[in-house]
Amino acid sequence: MHPALAIAAKDVRQRIRDRSAIVLGIVAPLVIAALMSLAFRGAETIHLTVGVVNSDHGAAAAGLLSALRSPGLKDLVTVVPEPSEGSASAAVHAGRAGAAIIIPSGFTNSVSRSRPLPLTTLTNVNNTVAAQITSSIAQSFVAQVNADRLSVATASAAGEPSGSAAAALDKAHLSLPIRTVQSALGAKRLKTISYYGPSMAIFFLLFTISFTARSFFVERDQGNIERMLAAPLRPRSVLLGKVLSAFVFGIVSLSIIAAVTTFAFGADWGNPLAAGLLSLAMVLAVTATTALVIGVAHTQRQAEGISSFAVFGLALLGGNFVFVSVTPPIMQRLALLTPNGWALRGYTDLATTGGGLAIVGLPIAAILVYTLVVATAASVLAPRALTP
Amino acid sequence: MATVEAVATKGPVLEVSGITRRFGDRLAVDDVSFSIPPGEIYGLLGPNGAGKTTTIKMICGLLQADSGTVRVAGHQAGTLAAKAVVGYVPQDVALYPDLTGRENLQFLGRLFGLSGGVLDERVDEALELSDLADRAGEHLSSYSGGMQRRLNIAAGLLNHPVLLVLDEPTVGVDPQSRHAILERVQSFGQLGMAVVYTTHYMEEAERVCDRVGIIDQGRLVAEGTRRELVDRLGERDRIDLGASGDIERWAEACRALDGVDGAAVADHQVQLLVHEGRKLLPAVLEAAERTGVQVSSVDVVEPDLEAVFLHLTGTALRE
Ligand SMILES: Nc1ncnc2c1ncn2[C@@H]1O[C@H](COP(=O)(O)OP(=O)(O)OP(=O)(O)O)[C@@H](O)[C@H]1O
Ligand SMILES: [Mg+2]
Repeated sequence: MHPALAIAAKDVRQRIRDRSAIVLGIVAPLVIAALMSLAFRGAETIHLTVGVVNSDHGAAAAGLLSALRSPGLKDLVTVVPEPSEGSASAAVHAGRAGAAIIIPSGFTNSVSRSRPLPLTTLTNVNNTVAAQITSSIAQSFVAQVNADRLSVATASAAGEPSGSAAAALDKAHLSLPIRTVQSALGAKRLKTISYYGPSMAIFFLLFTISFTARSFFVERDQGNIERMLAAPLRPRSVLLGKVLSAFVFGIVSLSIIAAVTTFAFGADWGNPLAAGLLSLAMVLAVTATTALVIGVAHTQRQAEGISSFAVFGLALLGGNFVFVSVTPPIMQRLALLTPNGWALRGYTDLATTGGGLAIVGLPIAAILVYTLVVATAASVLAPRALTP
Repeated sequence: MATVEAVATKGPVLEVSGITRRFGDRLAVDDVSFSIPPGEIYGLLGPNGAGKTTTIKMICGLLQADSGTVRVAGHQAGTLAAKAVVGYVPQDVALYPDLTGRENLQFLGRLFGLSGGVLDERVDEALELSDLADRAGEHLSSYSGGMQRRLNIAAGLLNHPVLLVLDEPTVGVDPQSRHAILERVQSFGQLGMAVVYTTHYMEEAERVCDRVGIIDQGRLVAEGTRRELVDRLGERDRIDLGASGDIERWAEACRALDGVDGAAVADHQVQLLVHEGRKLLPAVLEAAERTGVQVSSVDVVEPDLEAVFLHLTGTALRE
C-alpha cells in the first residue's frame, strides 16, 4: 500500500469514529437543508397577478389576453382587468398586482402598419421578479407580432387574401407567452430543497478544510507527523495522505446528502452524471484549499483561523446562505470567484433545465481553474509545513 | 522477538561524525561524534536541554545537521534506505488514542511497506512484546500511561530495525514498568540490534548501556564504559548533603575550600566532589554554620556517573 493511502485510510477511519465529523459532514447539512426548505416553502410557487388595461379591444389584444389566460399559465398568472392606466398603476403600487400591461387603443390596427404601437408595462421596484416576467411577456409578444407582421406583409405581397393572414396572426399569438413565462421562471421551477440541499451540502463540505487542516497540526504537535516522517516515505506522501482523506470524506458526505435529500425530501440534483462530475470538481477544489491552508498556517490556531475565514468567506460569497439570483449583480459576480458559487450555479441549472453535461461544462471548468491555481500555490507552500 | 534479522553490516551500525545544529543563536548540538557497533547499547546521558533529542532527530533524518554527517548501516541519515532500517521511539507517545493498539501498529507497519501476513506477524510480535496482546482491540485511550509507553516502544520494532533509537522511553513510567522496559532494551542488544538510548537517569544508563556518552550543553564531554568513566574520577569521592536554607551560598562557600573539586545544587541537596571526603567534612559543616544552613543528612556515595557528570561539567545531572 502506498504510504499516502495508508495515511488517508487511517484518517478516514478516525473521522468515521469521530462523532463531530459525522454530525458536521452528514447530519447537520441534512437537518439544515430540511429546515431551510420548510422555512422557504412558500417561495416555491411563484404566482403572478398581472393587471391588464385593454384600451384596444381588437384581435391582437384578445390574442394576448387569451394567451395569458390559457390553461398552461393558469397556475402562474392571474389576469385582473384594470379600467385605466391610473387604476393599474395604483394596483401595482399597492401590490395588488405584481405588474401591469397596458394595451394602447388602436394596437390591433397598428400591427398591420409599419410602426406598431408599443405595449407599456408598469412595474414595481419591490417586485423585480414580477417586473422581469411581465416585461419579457410583453417583449416577446411584440417580437412575435413583428414577426407575424412580416409574414402577413409577405403573404399580402404574394397576393394572398388578407383575411387568411389575419387568421394566421391570431393563431400564432396564442401559444407564445406560455413559453416566455415559463422560461422567465425557469423551465422547471426550482424547489427550495433542490437549492438548499446542494447549498448546505457544499457549505458543510467546506468544513472539511477546517477539519483536515486542524488535524494536520494536531498530529504535528503530538509528534505523529514526525513519526511518519521517520518511516521510509517522502514528506509529500504525508501531505498527500492528509488531503486524500479530505477528498474521500468529501465525496462520501456529498453522496450521502445527495441520496438522502433526493429520496427523503424530493430534491432534484439533476442529471446524475453531470451532478456527479460537478461534485467531484467541487471536492477537488475543497481538497486543494485544504492543502493551501496547511501550507499557509504555521500553527493549529492559525489553521483554525484561516480555515474559518476561508469557509465563511467562500460560503457567503458563493451564496450558500441566500439564493444568489435575488442578490445584487455585484454579489452575483463575486459568487463566480468561488468554486462553491459555480457549483451551486451548476446544481440549480441542472435542476431547472433538466439538462446534462453541457450545462455544467462551464461551472466545472471554472472550478477546475480555481483548483489548479490553489493546488499550485499549495504545492509550493505546503511542503514547508513538513520541514522542522 | 527471535525473528530479528542478524545485522549484516560489518563495522559500525551508526556513525556520527562532527554533527552540529543551531536553532537561531542557540547551539543545540556542538560537534558531536560517536559510533556504535552491532549489538551495543549506547547511552546518551545528559540533563534537560543538553541536546539529546536534537542529536537523535539528526540520526533519524528528521532534522538536518548544519554540518557533520550521520551514516546508518552505511546509508546517509535521512535517505529512505537509512530510514528503512531505523526504529524510532519518540520521547512523547506518538500514537492515536482513537485507534486500537492493533490499528496503531498496523498503520505504522504499513508506512514501512509491510502488508499481508508479514504485517500481521510483526504486529502480533509487537503486541506480544509489549504484553498487550489481550488489549489489542481496545482504543489506546483506555490504556494506562505505562501501557501506552510500552506500545510506543514496540512500534519502533515493527520494521526489525538494525538501529533502534529510544528517546527517554521511561519518563513518566512506574518503577515496575520501567524495570520491564529496561529488560526489553537489554534483550534487543543481545539480539544484535544497535541501540541508542537517551536518558537523564544515571541509574538507567549504568544499568542498560554498554557504553555511555555524557552530553552537556550540546557537547559530548566524555564517552566510555561505566568503568572507564568512573575511573576518570581517580580518588575522588562524592558527598551528598541534604540541607535547608540558602544552600546556593553554602555551595559557593564549599567551592572555595581546598580539596573540593566541584559543588552543585540539586533540589535541597548539595553534591560535592572531593578528595578524601572524610577529612574535609568538618570544614564543610563549618561552612554550613557560617552560611546559616541546616544540614539534615550526609551521604558518602560510591563513585558513579552522576559524580562523573559533576566532575566533568561542574553541575548536577538533575536540577
Ligand atoms: N525546534 C527548536 N527550536 C528552537 N530551539 C530548539 C528546538 N529544539 C530544541 N531546541 C533547543 O535546543 C536545545 C537542546 O534541546 P533538546 O530537545 O535536544 O534537549 P534534550 O537533551 O532532549 O532535553 P530533554 O531532556 O529536556 O528532552 C535546548 O536548548 C532547546 O531549547
Ligand atoms: Mg529530549
